[in-house]
Amino acid sequence: MRALWEYLWGVLSGAWSLAAGMGVTLRYMLQPVATVQYPRQRLPLPEAFRGPIRLRAFPDGHHCVACGECWRTCPSGVIKVQGLKAQAKDHNRARYFFIDFSRCSLCGLCVEVCPQQALAFSREYETVGPSRYLGVKDLIAALEQEEVVP
Amino acid sequence: MLRKTLIHDTFYLNLGPQHPSTHGVLRLLLRLEGERVVECQPVIGYSHRGHEHMAQNRSWLQFLPNTSRMDYLSALLYNHAYCLAVERACGITVPPRAEYIRVICAELNRIASHLLWFGAYLLDLGAFTPFLYAFDDREDILAILGEVTGSRLTYCYCRFGGVARDLNQAFLDGVRAFIPKLRRRLKDYHTLVSKNVIFLNRTKGIGVMSPEQARDYAVTGPNLRASGVNYDVRKAEPYSVYPELDFEVPLGEHGDCYDRYYVRLLEMEQSLRIVEQALERLPSGPIRAAGVEQEPAPPPGAYHFAYESARGQLGIYLVSDGGRIPVRMKWRVPSFSNLSVLPELLAGTLVADTIAILGSLDLVIPEIDR
Repeated sequence: MRALWEYLWGVLSGAWSLAAGMGVTLRYMLQPVATVQYPRQRLPLPEAFRGPIRLRAFPDGHHCVACGECWRTCPSGVIKVQGLKAQAKDHNRARYFFIDFSRCSLCGLCVEVCPQQALAFSREYETVGPSRYLGVKDLIAALEQEEVVP
Repeated sequence: MLRKTLIHDTFYLNLGPQHPSTHGVLRLLLRLEGERVVECQPVIGYSHRGHEHMAQNRSWLQFLPNTSRMDYLSALLYNHAYCLAVERACGITVPPRAEYIRVICAELNRIASHLLWFGAYLLDLGAFTPFLYAFDDREDILAILGEVTGSRLTYCYCRFGGVARDLNQAFLDGVRAFIPKLRRRLKDYHTLVSKNVIFLNRTKGIGVMSPEQARDYAVTGPNLRASGVNYDVRKAEPYSVYPELDFEVPLGEHGDCYDRYYVRLLEMEQSLRIVEQALERLPSGPIRAAGVEQEPAPPPGAYHFAYESARGQLGIYLVSDGGRIPVRMKWRVPSFSNLSVLPELLAGTLVADTIAILGSLDLVIPEIDR
């Protein structure tokens, strides 16, 4: 008799716990959808978003002097900069700024270390490509293609 | 005769490395007799990347992004731990605002890690619905942290002597809205899961770890506390601003899968309390210590620092010769010790319980292999 009672009690309490769980599910079913349908709907990017780095555009072009501080600080060694002097006594100015984004870990050390504040994070995030070489970019060429936005 | 040989036949089963319940690339070599596990041998090393060796090839600063790749589920905690270790070695004093910001972010990351474990564990046990709720909550945390760290998973936010970026209004509003929301959700989790009869039957009394066993294998974190041992590095060897904050260390009684689950749920509540208090007390001031070199190097010597990560005690052992590059860096990761107790827990259990026990330990395999 006792065993039967315990069995019935187990069935009843189990059924109640399942019903309580279904109650929670039912409550959430009537609430708005949490999913964002990505390609059609997009969330706003956060202010601090870190995309692949870019050179900041100024009215007189970029401010990179090719000091190589970012090159030396980069933990993955993905940056290569070469400067050029127009004349012998001119200041150095970057001519090539290559970054291999496929190996970049977006730590932001290059952006922080730059003495000229010439670097910034871009806001790109759809950076998928069929080849690893598509990650290699010349930031100066990319800057020249863009319109200059101060 | 046939029946007898079938039952007593020894049978080897490879669980993993591609099994979805091993959460990563862990391989368990199980020796079975019928449905019972006789022996279990974990095989690790599938995602070994040599982080400790990498540390010997780069400067102290350049190792920062590596820290978040070891335990990617609580990346900010590792980031924080590494910065604290190097700062202590160099004698850098961090401004209070920066330290509070770090603690807020670290505790949020701890909640995110526990939420992911909660969802994935129940998925292992066959419950699909809680997983969706847990990921909904975790999504909120990732969005909040993205607001200030700029990334969603592998953060590189802490710097020697401070943090990379100050908190903004969106972050503060997000956290203030999130705390009551998760409190409501935790009640739902208890209704949905903690009292669910199927879950109780699958976890109560399964995989019992005695306090002695836990101590023998140096198990730490929620797994140790579920066995009733009151040990939390935040209380035992306080660091950062934890001594100023009021929180409790939840303990279990039996050390079974259910207790390990329940302790983690209670820990989330405590983490919420910490975040709430830290937000109230958040001082104003600078977020980077003044006068810290770009690439600080600890003076010659050996240093050890202990930190409570989401999975247990994280130990960092640094050897410096005063140069730009570390001589040796050893990471004592909690998951490795937590895995070593697994063969003892699995001996004599059913194969179906293997998944329940393995999941309840909350292992992160890249952290073990590192």
